[in-house]
Parts: sequence; structure tokens; C-alpha cells
Amino acid sequence: MAQRRELIKGSIDSLLLCLIGQQPMYGYQIIKELKERSQGYFQFKEGTLYPALHRLERVGLIQGKWQTLPSGQQRKYYHITDKGLLSLVEKRSQWQDFLAAMNLIIQPASE
Amino acid sequence: MTTVLSHYLDSVRENLRLDVSSEGEVIHELETHIEEELQELKEAGLSEEDAASTCVGLLGSARMVARQIYEAHSQGSWGQALLAAMPHLLFGLLFVLNWWRGIGWLLGMLVLVLSMAVYGWWRGKPTWLFPWLGYSLLPVAVAGLLLLYLPPEWSWVAILFYIPLALWLLFSITVKTIRRDWLYSSLMLLPLPTIIGWFLAVEPVHNFPQYWLQRIQDFAPWIGLSFLALAVTVATFVRLRKRWLRVSVLVVSGLITLTMVAYYTEGRLSVPAFLILIVVMLILLLSPALVERTLRHAGQKSAA
Repeated sequence: MAQRRELIKGSIDSLLLCLIGQQPMYGYQIIKELKERSQGYFQFKEGTLYPALHRLERVGLIQGKWQTLPSGQQRKYYHITDKGLLSLVEKRSQWQDFLAAMNLIIQPASE
Repeated sequence: MTTVLSHYLDSVRENLRLDVSSEGEVIHELETHIEEELQELKEAGLSEEDAASTCVGLLGSARMVARQIYEAHSQGSWGQALLAAMPHLLFGLLFVLNWWRGIGWLLGMLVLVLSMAVYGWWRGKPTWLFPWLGYSLLPVAVAGLLLLYLPPEWSWVAILFYIPLALWLLFSITVKTIRRDWLYSSLMLLPLPTIIGWFLAVEPVHNFPQYWLQRIQDFAPWIGLSFLALAVTVATFVRLRKRWLRVSVLVVSGLITLTMVAYYTEGRLSVPAFLILIVVMLILLLSPALVERTLRHAGQKSAA
């Protein structure tokens, strides 16, 4: 479990950029999406999502905007920035290279 | 919102130590998250209390969340680092370039320091304000030192007016700073041990002020250097994210500058005086943490 937590911690920025890159999202929605799409693999303390979002916002990869719903409820939606899109492209390529290299080592070679 | 969740948000707020507007936004964002989650848990059949405690469990420790959010926000830009280091830099240059004898330079510096302190104070107390605030209290300290050299029959001025006024001013500004974040109070008080160290090293025993001014003249480059070292410390402080690193930088810098005072004054600062100064420096830099805790407990008791 601790190992999984470390893996998630190391990849949280890529995961967030990827999700927000597809459509603007708010914190609670991100948690649900991560859980659903990963079939429960990406589960972590929900409060720790916000430091990651704020860190990405501070470095200009995403931008948060408050929106008021017709019900009067407010939500802070995060949008990806141009800088964030460039970073996402780079991160995707790094992940693909990493996964390809990992597969070469981990998967048994077919004779 | 239930008491459990209100306490949770209060605990996050207490440990955030951000400026008022950032703090408000963070808390509002967590509130909207909690409301949504609470609604969903209640729709799933949980009672209000069960939903609240489940929600707190899912969010994780309030202290940890607050600390991580603090680290996400705490790092200042290079511009802010330069602005925060500026008063130390100017004070250092005042001595290195021998401008400290020019009344025009001193007055200019005083006006700049006071203007920046007032501007920062009314603009939400950003990190860069606190070194300026520390120097804006310098005239109070200098006035106190000069009172020491008044004829004895004038000592009632100090007792009746100066001491209560100076203590009130120092206390109220320090407490307000500690309420923002005790580390900023330490940042504000950072140059004080160095100033006391230099004062003790150049202390006149006779022929004030000629002898005193001559000694300052002799040590001016080293005095300047010690304040330039403080400027580097403050810039580093602003760029760091983690609180323990910020505390370490302040303490190490205090030790380095006091060692510089002892080294460059070649024994004018005795070993006991040096050791006492180190203790004073540690008290000045670390006691705001205790004051903050006391203020918080007092606040919680009065709220209860």
C-alpha cells in the first residue's frame, strides 16, 4: 500500500494535467474521475489533492476559476494553460518511453 | 455544517498561515468539496454524523493538508526575495560604501523603510514586508540607546514616556505579526542580535560620541558585510518552501553573523558576551513559536 502511495505521489502531476487537459474540472470531480477510471486503484486522502492542484496553479500549468451554478453553489474549475499543454505533451512522451522500457524488462521475453 | 467538519476546517485554517485572501479561498474550496461529499454520503444512506466523520476520514489529517497547501503557496518569486532582502542590502551598503555618516542618506533610508512598512502592512502583510517592518522599528531602538547618554536628571523621560511607549509599540507589532505567522516575527527580529552584537563591540566607554563614531568607522566594512549576509539569508528564506528549512536558515544565519561580529572585532566581544548573544538570538528567533501557541490556546479558550 505504501509503495502504491509513493507511485501515485510521483505521478499525481501527470494524472491531474491529463484529466484537466481533457476538460476543465473541479476538485471533487477529479477525485471521482481518478477513482472511476482507474477502477479504484487511484485512491488517496482527498485533502492532499488540493496541494497538488495549487502547486500546478502556482507554476502556471493550470488556472482555477470560480463558477457559480444556477443552484447558487460555487465550484472552482481548473483549466489547463498553454504552458500546461506543453508540459502534458512532454510528460506523456516520458511516460510512454518509461512504460516501454519497463515492459521490456518486466515482461518475460517470448522465445 | 456539523461541528466535526467545522473543527476540521478551523484546524486547517489555523495551520495554513497564508495571507487572508489565499486562506479564504483555500477554505472556501475545501468547504465546497465537503458539501458535495456530504450530500453524496447522505444520499447513500449515511446519517449526518456518520457522513461527517466519513468525510473527515476521506480528507485526511487537517494538519497535513494545511502543511502541504502552505508548501504549495509559500515559495516567493525571485522578485519578492529581492524585495524582502532589500532593507538588509541597503543597510549593508550604507556601511560598506560609508554612507552612514551622511544625514541625507540616513533620512532617505528612514523614509523608504517607513513607507515600505506602512505600504506592506495595509496591503495584506506579504512576506517581503517583515524585514522592512523590523528596520522600521530601528529608530525606536536608536532613541532608546541615545537616552542612555542623557544626563541622569533626564532619566524620568525614559521611565515615564519612552520605555512604556517603546514596549507597547514593539509588543503590539510583534503580536500582530505572530498572528499572521510566527516565522515572520522571527524574520522581522532577525537583524536584532547582529545589531546588539555590533553595539556591544563598539560600545563607548568614554568620549561619546566621537570614540563611538570612530569605532563604527573602523568596523564599517564588516558591519556592512554582516548585513549583506542577512540579505542572502532573507532571500533564501523567501525561496524555501518547507518551514523547518526556513527555521534552520534563520538560526544558522544568526550564528554566522554573530560569529562574524566576534571574529572581525578581534576579541572586543568576550566569550561570555558572545554566548549570551547566541542565547538571546535563539530566544528572539524561536520564542515567537511559543507566543503563537499561547495566543492560540487563549483564543480557543475564549471561543469555548
